[in-house]
Amino acid sequence: MNRFLIPGAMLVLALVYPLLVQSLPVYERLGALVLLGAIGASAWNIVGGYAGQVSVGHAVFFGFGAYSAVVVYTHLGWPPIAGAPIGMALSVLLAAAIGVPTLRLSGHYFSMATIAVGELVRVLSSTSEFLGGAQGLGGPAIPRTVFDLSFLSATPFYYIFLAVLVLLLWLTWAIERGRMGYYLRAIKDSERAARSLGVSAGKYKLYAYMLSGAFTSLAGSLYLCMFGFVDPESGFGILISVKMVVMAALGGAGQLFGPLVGALILVPLEELSNSLLGGKGAGLTFVVYGAIIVIIARFLPSGLLSLLGRRKVTRAD
Amino acid sequence: MVGAAALAAGLVRPALAQDGTVKIGVIYPLSGNSATAGNYSKMALEVGADVVNNGDAELAKLIPLAKGGGLPGLKNAKIQLIFADNQGTPAAGQNQALRLITEEKVAALIGAYQSGITLTASAIAERHGIPFVNGESVAANLTERGFKWFFRVTPVALDFARAYSEFLKAQKAAGHKTDNIALVHENTEYGNSVGSVIIDQFKKDGFTVGTKIAYSANSSDVQPQVLQLKEKNPDVLIFISYTSDAILYTKTMKELNWKPGIMIADNAGFNDPAFVKSLGSQVEGLINRSAFSAGKPGSVPDLFNKIYTKKTGGDELDDVSVRGLQAFMVLADALNRAGSTEPAKLQAALKATDLPAEQMVAGYDGVKFDDKGQNVKAASVVTQMRGGRYVTIAPKARATAEVILPYKGW
Repeated sequence: MNRFLIPGAMLVLALVYPLLVQSLPVYERLGALVLLGAIGASAWNIVGGYAGQVSVGHAVFFGFGAYSAVVVYTHLGWPPIAGAPIGMALSVLLAAAIGVPTLRLSGHYFSMATIAVGELVRVLSSTSEFLGGAQGLGGPAIPRTVFDLSFLSATPFYYIFLAVLVLLLWLTWAIERGRMGYYLRAIKDSERAARSLGVSAGKYKLYAYMLSGAFTSLAGSLYLCMFGFVDPESGFGILISVKMVVMAALGGAGQLFGPLVGALILVPLEELSNSLLGGKGAGLTFVVYGAIIVIIARFLPSGLLSLLGRRKVTRAD
Repeated sequence: MVGAAALAAGLVRPALAQDGTVKIGVIYPLSGNSATAGNYSKMALEVGADVVNNGDAELAKLIPLAKGGGLPGLKNAKIQLIFADNQGTPAAGQNQALRLITEEKVAALIGAYQSGITLTASAIAERHGIPFVNGESVAANLTERGFKWFFRVTPVALDFARAYSEFLKAQKAAGHKTDNIALVHENTEYGNSVGSVIIDQFKKDGFTVGTKIAYSANSSDVQPQVLQLKEKNPDVLIFISYTSDAILYTKTMKELNWKPGIMIADNAGFNDPAFVKSLGSQVEGLINRSAFSAGKPGSVPDLFNKIYTKKTGGDELDDVSVRGLQAFMVLADALNRAGSTEPAKLQAALKATDLPAEQMVAGYDGVKFDDKGQNVKAASVVTQMRGGRYVTIAPKARATAEVILPYKGW
C-alpha cells in the first residue's frame, strides 16, 4: 500500500498543477516542458539506466520523431501529430539497424559509436532537401483544425505529455518487475555473468534499445507539435542527447522516477536561470546551471533519488 | 475553459506602466555561437533607446524622435528595453517570447537574429496578438506564413543576390571578365540558402556559376578548397562565410598565392570587426554588401555611429547591429504614431509606417511594409575594402568612392 502512496500523491499533484498556475502562462509552459524532458529522459533510462548501455546518441530518435511530424505536414499536409506513430515505427527499425552492430560494443565504445551515428545523421539531415536542409522545417503557422495542436495555453500539451509519461512509466515499471527487468539489471552488473546464466544479453539489450528509441521519437514528435519548428541542430544536436543523459543521471539512472526527478530540477533551473540572468548577456546562465550540476554530481553521485532510497541502491549494487 | 482564462489573464495589459515607461521585449542570442552578434545588437538598441529617451542635439535635426523626452505621441513615455537570451535554440527563443509577453507585459517584441528562432518566437507573438518586429532574419518563409503581427525590416537573400548581379553587370559593361564564377559557401543554413538564391538570380541574369564549393565552417584547413580554386582559376569568386573560416581562407589564399580578378564576400565573417581589424589589409579591394554605410559626415548613420562607437569603445556599427537599430527605430516611430500600447493600434501604426530614406540609419531606401509584413524599401549597399575599411561604392546615391578593380588582396 505504502509504495503507491508517493507515486499516487505525485500524480494527483501533477493533475492539479495547471489549475494552480492558471493565470501564469510561463508556469503552465514550464510544467509542460518538465514533462517533455521527463519523457525523453525516462525513455533513455530504459536502455541507458536499466540496461547500463550509455547511449549518447539518442537525439537520433528524437530528431526522427520531430522530423516525421513536420514531414507529414510539409509533404502531405497532415497534422504533425499524425507523424508520431510513423516516427515511432521508423525509430524501432532504426534502433534495430544501429543496435545490432553497436550493442556488441562494451562501455565507452558503445557510447562513442552512438555519438558517431548521431553526428552522422545530423550532418546528413542538413544536406537533405526533403528535410528542409540546414534551414529546417516549420509546422503549421496558423492552426487549420484542432488536430494541429496549436493552443494559446500550454495546458493541453501538459495533459498530453502527462498521459504519455504515465504510460511510459507504467511500462517501465512493468518491465522492471518482470523477467526482462531482471535480465537487464543482470546485464548491467556483469554481461558475462548474465550470459553464463543463460540470459540472451544481445536480444534483451536490443529490445530495450528499440523500446527506448520509440518513446524518444514520440518525445521528438511532441516537441515539434509544441514548438512548431525543427532544424538539424534542434532535432539531432548532440546537446539533446546529453540533456537526456544528464537529467536521468542527476535524478537517478536505472530508477523508475529518477529521470522525472532530474527533469523536475534541471528544466526549471534552466528556464528560470535564463529568465533571470539571460538578459544580462554575460553567459551567466550556464555558469550557474553548470555549477549546480557539478554540486549535485559531487555530493550525490547516484542521483537525487539516492537521498530517499539509499538502502535500495546499495542492495542493487 | 482553462485556455480562455489564460487568454483573459494574458491579454490584460496596462497601456503604460505607472512610471510612464513603455516596455519593449528584445530577444537576441546573448550566449552561444552567435553571442557576439547578439551583444553588439543589444548595444545598438541601447543607443537607440538612449537617443529617444534623452535626445541628441545633432540627430534631432534629422529625426523627429531624437529630441529627447521619450515619445511625444505617447504622453512622453520613455522606452524601457527588456532583453532576453535565446541561447541559440528555437525552444529558448519561444519560451522567452512567452515570458516577455505575459510576465513583462511588453508592448512589442524585437528579435531574434537566427531565422529558425525568429520563426518560433514570432509564432507565440502571433497567437497572443503582439507585434513582432524583425531586424535581421533573412529566411524567405518568415513572411510567407500569413501572419498579421510580423514585420520584417531587413532585406532578404534575394535583395543581396540582386545587388551582386547588378554590380557584376556594371563590371562586365566596363570590360572586366565575369564569365567564370565560383561560389564558395559554408554548409549550414546561412551558406546554403544564400548560395542557392545567388545561383538562381545569376542564372536569370545570364551569369553562370561554374564552380560551387561547400565546406564546413568549423574546418581547420581549407587548402584543398583553395587548391581546387587555383586549378579552376575563376574570374569572379564569391564567399559566403563565417568569421573563423573567412580568416582561414584569407591566409591560405595568400600562402598559395592565388587571387581572382573580382572577389566578393557576402557580409558575415568578412564583415566581423574581428576580421576587419586583423586581416582588413590582406583583402584590399574585396567587394562586400552591407546594410551599414557610414555615409557623409553629419548624416543619420554617421551620427548614430559616433554615439555607438563611444559606447562600444571603438567598434563601429556594422551590418548586423545597424539592422537591429533600424528595427528599433521603426518600432519607436510606430509607438509614437499609435499613441497607445494597445496591440491593435500599434499593429495599425506599423502597417502605416512610411519612413523616408533620409531618416534611415541602415542603408535602406526607407521603410514601408507590404501585406505580408516585408519592408519593400529594404536594400543593400555594395562596399569595397580600402585601406582596412569598407567604403560604399554602389548605389550611386550613397557611394562615397569609385570602385577599383582588379582585386588586389595583400
